[in-house]
Amino acid sequence: MQHARLIATLRRIGILAIAVSGVAYLAYVFFHEPGDDQGGDRLVISVYGVSQDSFRKNLYAPFEAECGCTLVVETGNSAERLSKLAARKNNPEVDLAVFSDFDALAALRRGLLDPIDVSRLSNYNKLYEFARDPIGGHMAVGYTVYATGIVYRTDKVAISSWRDLWSPSLKDRLVLPTLTSSGGPLLLQMLERAAGGSDPTFAGALAQVAANKRSVVTFFERSANLVQLFQQGEAWAAVTGRYNLPLLLRLNMPIAWASPSEGDAGGRNVLVLIKGSRRRALALRFLDKWLSTEVQTAMALDLVDSPANREATLPPNVASLLTYGPEMIERMNFIAPAVVLDHRAAWTKAWNETIAR
Amino acid sequence: MNARTRGLLLLTPATLFVFVAFLVPLAILLAGSFQRDDGAIGLQRYVEFFADPLHQEVVLRTLRIGALVTLAAIALGYVAALAIVDLSPTSRARLVGLVTLPIMISPVARTYAWIVLLGRTGLVNNLALQFGLTDAPLRFLYTEPAVFVGLLQLLLPLMILSLVSALENVPRDAVPAARMLGANWWVVFTRVLLPLTRDGLATGGVLVFTGAITAYITPAMLGGAKILMLETLLYQRVNVTDDIATATVITALLVSMSILAKLVLSRLAKGRSK
Amino acid sequence: MNGRALQWTALGAVLLFLLGPFVIILAAGVSDGETLTFPPEGVSLRWAASVVAIAELRHAFAISFALAVLSTLGALLLGIPAAYALERLDPPGANIVRAVVTSPLVVPGIVVGLALLRYFVIPLGIGVRPALLASHIALLIPYAVRVVAASLRNLRVDIEDAAIMLGATPLQAFFQIVAPNIRNGVIASFILSFITSFNQVPVSLFLSGPGISTLPIEMLARIDFTYDPSIAALSAMLALLSIAIVFLAERLLGLSRYV
Repeated sequence: MQHARLIATLRRIGILAIAVSGVAYLAYVFFHEPGDDQGGDRLVISVYGVSQDSFRKNLYAPFEAECGCTLVVETGNSAERLSKLAARKNNPEVDLAVFSDFDALAALRRGLLDPIDVSRLSNYNKLYEFARDPIGGHMAVGYTVYATGIVYRTDKVAISSWRDLWSPSLKDRLVLPTLTSSGGPLLLQMLERAAGGSDPTFAGALAQVAANKRSVVTFFERSANLVQLFQQGEAWAAVTGRYNLPLLLRLNMPIAWASPSEGDAGGRNVLVLIKGSRRRALALRFLDKWLSTEVQTAMALDLVDSPANREATLPPNVASLLTYGPEMIERMNFIAPAVVLDHRAAWTKAWNETIAR
Repeated sequence: MNARTRGLLLLTPATLFVFVAFLVPLAILLAGSFQRDDGAIGLQRYVEFFADPLHQEVVLRTLRIGALVTLAAIALGYVAALAIVDLSPTSRARLVGLVTLPIMISPVARTYAWIVLLGRTGLVNNLALQFGLTDAPLRFLYTEPAVFVGLLQLLLPLMILSLVSALENVPRDAVPAARMLGANWWVVFTRVLLPLTRDGLATGGVLVFTGAITAYITPAMLGGAKILMLETLLYQRVNVTDDIATATVITALLVSMSILAKLVLSRLAKGRSK
Repeated sequence: MNGRALQWTALGAVLLFLLGPFVIILAAGVSDGETLTFPPEGVSLRWAASVVAIAELRHAFAISFALAVLSTLGALLLGIPAAYALERLDPPGANIVRAVVTSPLVVPGIVVGLALLRYFVIPLGIGVRPALLASHIALLIPYAVRVVAASLRNLRVDIEDAAIMLGATPLQAFFQIVAPNIRNGVIASFILSFITSFNQVPVSLFLSGPGISTLPIEMLARIDFTYDPSIAALSAMLALLSIAIVFLAERLLGLSRYV
């Protein structure tokens, strides 16, 4: 009798011990910061979610090996990143972030950025002009450039101008970036140009989109779900950054990049340092690594980002898929970040009143 | 220590936690909707919110989809629940289990299934083409019907479960008795079953309606930026355009809609069944 | 019995509507093809394997799992005493307290996430991880209180009184008499809370941060740029996991009575 009771008690204690250690382990999993056990420093970066596998292979892993530190990566789109950084302004988690050039300027105007000491970047002098001081005051450096243009199904339509987006054969098959995404202002700029205007209020462009909004399948916020839309047959043409082209070509559909007579819009992505971050030296080192010829070439060979570093040389079959070389970069229509920021509120108002409904 | 003091002591941690980590932050957010730009108290934010035609449309769409989903759930819910309570207790339990299943499955996975089904090259379009119901694939994704279908699948189980438990309490001989007295099917339903299951209907109605107007994933994935509902509009206003003023108003609207739906429907249930 | 046949057909149609999509996603997830299609091209588990091979997804799964267990335990720890007090001890203001502790149920997740981020996490300087945990606990307390209160209601008060009369302290009476009897209710509430937390999206959307992302959020982000069956395979695996949990729970204690 006594014996049985003892066993029951022991079993109860055993179960309890297992449960407690299980919970303790889960608490460890949950509260454990990556890299704590390696003893090195941690660098927190906030970037776009696309092609993280390539970044890990070409940039993160080699950097971690070099510095003996751990990279913590947060992914999301430019606007979400901006609002999260603003929310945590007084207690920043992130050390280094990437933005579109105008969102970087927005971050600067909200006091979220620190200047970059470019004299400490060994790769700075290798950069193209557009990447050296994109928002002024050395508050950012460009790491990639991309044409924003039209991808389309060559078996369904022909595109030779931005005006062809409104062709009847694209009714219900057209996908455009929404105004609040990085591609939105670039789309409006090209539509304005196609209509022969150059008015920064983009009234003509907004009117065109409004008049044709019924043909648009959806206005996307993250460019990446384009792949889904083309694959499901929802989209026959879309306006997007060229970095999406390689991904789309892997669908084995007759998809091509259009060469409209007006040219393409130019977009830049930049690296910035977050104000108040404590790991400044490490962040600068990482930034320099990102701009190095070796990393820039590797990312280009994986068809992820077109180089901002002039010394990155690419074979022709790769170069043709990217935004590469001085001539191509010259031909693109860049839009000044300040113009976007100064007019965006008015564009948004017009967009909400006439297009989003 | 008497029971009441002990009671207070046991209640304090949970109440305090919900206060600090939920109610107070929510109250501050709600209070923000009554703040004018100059800091004084006023309805300026509401006036500005409703002056925007996009916002009017989103509010109406949210109410419309909420109402339609609720009505459809009531219709399908009675059909399913009446069939389920007709079963033997064992198979009844089994079917209730089947109906419960969808509630337990990740909404992301669930909605993804609809993307696969409703795309232009998806199963629904392929079947429609094969049976000659349509000449060309129809566009479902990013339309109101897609959001409606997704929400209905999400919330119908809650209605069925409420109605099953309500119908289980209906006296077994109520329906046969009414039929013997010559009542037709419709009369039996409206005069016998409906009054006896009003409570369950109200409970299910509240769950489905508030579920529909407060769901996020379904409208985000199946409606996108073109078919905004209040939740997706709120997310966009906060995280894309950093517009907290609008967000506070949407918060107030969503919370008051949920509470109003609960009050109205429970009043309806009580008032009539007495 | 024409009416009967009609009734069964209708029930079948409703079930098809509710469950059909999972069959599709399951089939698409085991496809051997390169792209997401239905009907699937051949059968293979390689996409399921490819999902498991992604370190970020494994990490997110571990985080989601740990978060669900920890927040459920936290909610039960706070919720069971509260439920007991509400049902048995008749504290002053019981109705108000009941409304307070169940209030997170009626507020949309997006609103909860926003309110907590701006007026709880940031002003108090709470780190990303504790903030995520606290928000999930707040969300789950209503489930703990309601389900446990319901099973307390079904338990007769007098056996507890008898134990106390026989000399047990209230604490002994609770652990020896009440606890074993409400065990099923507690387990039911554990499962409900676990699944609610594990599948939670809108709140986590605001409160996740660098290095800590939950599985549904990671999945939502990946859907955007995935065209192969891997996300379908992941969805199918998650669905099967839920089905297994529900099936076990149903077997053991008739979970649906508590939903």
